[in-house]
Amino acid sequence: MIVAGCDVGSLTSKAVVWRDGSIVGQAVTKSRAKPWESAEAVMQTALAAAGLGMGDVEYCVGTGYGREKIPFVQEAVSEIACHGRGARWLVPSVRTVIDIGGQDCKAMRLDNGGNVEKFVANDKCASGTGRFLEVMAKVLGVELAALGELSVRARHPVTLANACTVWAQADVIKYLSDGVPVEDIAAGINNAMAARMATLVNHIGVEPDICMTGGVAKNSGVLSSIEKLLAVRLKRIRRADPQIVGAIGAALIAAERAGAGRS
Amino acid sequence: MSPDWMEAAVVLENRFVKRWKAAGKKVVGYTCSYLPDEVFHAAGILPYRLRGYGTEECTIGDTYFGPFICSLPKCMLQLAGEGRFRFLDGAIITPGCDSMRRLDECWRKAGDDHPGIVPGFFFHFAVPHKFSDYTVHWFADEIRRLIAAVEAHFEVAISADRLRDAIRVYNRGRELLRELERLRTLPEPPITGTDALAVVLAGTAMARDVYNDRLAAFLAEPSPEPPAHRGRIRLMLVGSANDDVELVRLVEGDRALVVADNLCFSARCHLDPVPEDGDPVEALAQSYLRKNECPRMYGQYQGRLELLRAKIRSARVDGVVMQNIRFCDLHGAENGLFERDLEAEGVPCLRVEREYGALVEKGRLKMRVDAFLERIAHRREVCA
Amino acid sequence: MRQATREYHFDRMLWSAFDTAAKLSRGSEKEYRTTLKYIPYFRGVVDALLQPGEPGREFLRVCARYFENVVTARERGRKTAITTFCFSPTILYAFDVVPVCLEVISAMMCLAYRRGTGEFLDYCNEVGFTETSCSSQRGALGGFLAGLGSEIDLVLTDTPGVCDTNANAFAFAAAYLHKPFFQLDYPPVLVDGRSDTYHREDYRALIRFLEEHTGKQLDVDRLRAVLTEVQAQDEMIAELDELARCVPNPLPVSFNLMLYAGRFLFAGMPECTHLLESMVRMARRNAELGRSGLASGTENARAFFCYIDHYAQDLRLWQMLDELGIGYVGNILSRHWGATAPYVRELGKQDAAYSIDTTGLDTMIDSIAALNSRMPMVKSIRGPYDAPNMWLEDTLALAKMYAADFIVYNGTPGCRNTWGMVKLFARDTEKAGFPTHIMNGDAFDERVQSWEATRERFEEFIRVRRILR
Repeated sequence: MIVAGCDVGSLTSKAVVWRDGSIVGQAVTKSRAKPWESAEAVMQTALAAAGLGMGDVEYCVGTGYGREKIPFVQEAVSEIACHGRGARWLVPSVRTVIDIGGQDCKAMRLDNGGNVEKFVANDKCASGTGRFLEVMAKVLGVELAALGELSVRARHPVTLANACTVWAQADVIKYLSDGVPVEDIAAGINNAMAARMATLVNHIGVEPDICMTGGVAKNSGVLSSIEKLLAVRLKRIRRADPQIVGAIGAALIAAERAGAGRS
Repeated sequence: MSPDWMEAAVVLENRFVKRWKAAGKKVVGYTCSYLPDEVFHAAGILPYRLRGYGTEECTIGDTYFGPFICSLPKCMLQLAGEGRFRFLDGAIITPGCDSMRRLDECWRKAGDDHPGIVPGFFFHFAVPHKFSDYTVHWFADEIRRLIAAVEAHFEVAISADRLRDAIRVYNRGRELLRELERLRTLPEPPITGTDALAVVLAGTAMARDVYNDRLAAFLAEPSPEPPAHRGRIRLMLVGSANDDVELVRLVEGDRALVVADNLCFSARCHLDPVPEDGDPVEALAQSYLRKNECPRMYGQYQGRLELLRAKIRSARVDGVVMQNIRFCDLHGAENGLFERDLEAEGVPCLRVEREYGALVEKGRLKMRVDAFLERIAHRREVCA
Repeated sequence: MRQATREYHFDRMLWSAFDTAAKLSRGSEKEYRTTLKYIPYFRGVVDALLQPGEPGREFLRVCARYFENVVTARERGRKTAITTFCFSPTILYAFDVVPVCLEVISAMMCLAYRRGTGEFLDYCNEVGFTETSCSSQRGALGGFLAGLGSEIDLVLTDTPGVCDTNANAFAFAAAYLHKPFFQLDYPPVLVDGRSDTYHREDYRALIRFLEEHTGKQLDVDRLRAVLTEVQAQDEMIAELDELARCVPNPLPVSFNLMLYAGRFLFAGMPECTHLLESMVRMARRNAELGRSGLASGTENARAFFCYIDHYAQDLRLWQMLDELGIGYVGNILSRHWGATAPYVRELGKQDAAYSIDTTGLDTMIDSIAALNSRMPMVKSIRGPYDAPNMWLEDTLALAKMYAADFIVYNGTPGCRNTWGMVKLFARDTEKAGFPTHIMNGDAFDERVQSWEATRERFEEFIRVRRILR
């Protein structure tokens, strides 16, 4: 049985092709203006990686902001539910999931079955999202992926405005011109993000084990900062790219539906 | 449902208001449900609940108000600045909350720059934040002060008898609205939450006696076909003011039904009868100030929690959607307490923050509502 | 909240910090300088406060004593009540109840904590507050809601009708902690027979509430003693207010903070009296010598802060003003509107002021009700800003009387009622001839706008408007 999950986000789109309990193809691409075009592109890439075509897919679940506009999906499911499912598959002991995507951040608690028991989201402002890190990395003149590594070497992390990305940007420029080491600024950026996230997750209550999904999970600086704030170790996602967790969850739900359809 | 209801909900100067004005009668806008409409009805003036519905941008609102302010009064000011409230002969500003009370000076100062937008009768009507003997006494005096000002400006007489008549008319409306609310609690409600809000909004924009007749006829109409509402997830919607039927439609979608609410602009403001005998001003002061649906009545959280619990029981609510307009700290923080206490009792809750104004965040809101409905649906499966 | 923050009660930590700081001045200069090295995050504040000499030492002692009262209240058989800065503690001292004044504690946390109140602010959001709620209560309140402070018995506020976000924080706290709650509620007009009647009746209801929850009757003699002390304090405050009119202003910049903090924490108690006495002595000396209270001795300009100060972080606002040679001629918090205040006489505002009559119980209760209704914000933010006796009238009158060169608005993004009309207000103050600077930061939370950015904008304003002489 071949099924698929497609997660169309504002910055990136992800797709996973799933066969008999494993991922056989996956892709992450930059999103385009129209969600159906993004979905088509990323799905074709994932299918190509698996050596399959759209006709081979028995059931496809779509998620993300563009989910209802994807023409080839049989069902649209919220990304919260998909992230929960995907995280549970990747980390079977997980009960609390933190997801920081391109334009929003969420925290959710799962029950024994991997279903979402409670969730909270905060995306009113860019300063709690991947977009914040992108903007800050650009101002610092470093690669986004380097932010985590840099922050580990910080001696005196700076305090950054965390209520407004534009004002935080102004702070970074000022620190740079004052000769503050890049490592300290990188740590300040990660800490600002982590503090916003910690507040969110504490609102629903932390229940171990905890993991982080979404692109920002690849930033070790943010991870360790959140760990310090929550006083609990986060489980790292190693079996797959944390960015595709939503698509994995969508594929899992697709497998369930297809299995149910058959029986 | 007659399109007249929806017209009153989405058109500010609706047909009824136009006819009223064409007949040479007066209209006075007001911002807060604590204002006793009966005063104006008794004066032969149409009391019109001010709204910010229908703005497409907010440059005028943003010019006078500062940045960290709820968008509802800003949108009201925007409409005023665009001249959309020129049909008003008066406006009453009440300190329902800090953001709303600043509409007073912002509107007046905007009037210096945009001539003709401040109605001839402009009145600051205060309401205490608690209910006790001396606050009721003060509030009764405030109502008398308002009556005196209306009489002087509009050259009308508002006698005790006319007030009692107005109270009777409004009580009839309250009785009908209670029936509407009861129908919404049925296993197969004959009306969606979207339509119910439209019906209630219409009552804030037409004369109460006319509204009563229309509402009575509407309630007596048989449902044309049994609506396909069985099985839908039953929600209660609470929080900041909402006069946008589209928000309710977004929450309901095709899987849910808003069967109860506790919102400003909704039926909660119009349910409890006012005594029809005795001194009418005292009766109005007692009845209006006693109302406890709004967090502006500080220290009464437990009473409001009981109110929600009672509605959850009577309407067999599956989950509560708690929304607040950004910068609305009163509803926003109280939603936090409600969430804590209701979740502890096993009632699923969703808290969302939004802007008031043109409904522009549909994707974000829908994603959260969908996830919430999925959670409830799963819970139903487990409990079945 | 980090684990480390949860290890100790925060009010006990503050007591320890201020108590130790108060003792620092007893050593030699060498001992003092050496000890400062061991408090890298608090030393700037300590040094700045001790610079003026005896008043600074007294102020640190007052802060230490305040926290001692809060932390030891239970063991000494006293009740505690969370209150707000504009709720005069006089009535509480008459009942021997310890006032736990949230905003002043938040300000002190900004002075003493390296990272300010951030974690505590965020904790409030975790338990349900909106993140847009005012930071002034949330700093200290976060500690109490997290169970990291002394036990609270009562929750009192007097900001309904004046400031929603403030009143809401107290209502939330009472519901969250399940504590008895009382609100003094204010009508929008100050000078009005109906308002007077309302103030009196409401205050009597407060007294009934306190009697019920303390199990004590209001002690007439004790109330008289407290109010007599207030009268003495008001005389000294009036003298300081008069001296501040001198050019140059003989009061050091930090005196404003000391004056209002002392009053909010200990009005009617000897602690406030001793503090004021030391301030008056120094101010008189400076005035006799024609000396500016600024460290440089040169006053380049005079600033009137129409709202509140900027506390995040440390005392950097005061240090900046001192460095730039800007004399500080007061803010909304430092005017008490007692009948003997010079501005009351000069502006002919006797009906807007309070006076104290200790003849009998009724006159004393009426006096204290009037006093409370003239507390900062309660007096001037309750009604439309351009109404008589409200914010605009007060600001323009005081700015003119104290020869201010410019006006500064500083608050918090949570302040709905001022952000609701501050643009209109600034337009009017500019028209009246006062260059007006609106600060966009948060007085209690540096994460909203860093101090560096705040200072840069302030200095840009000073430069562009050519304020400095």
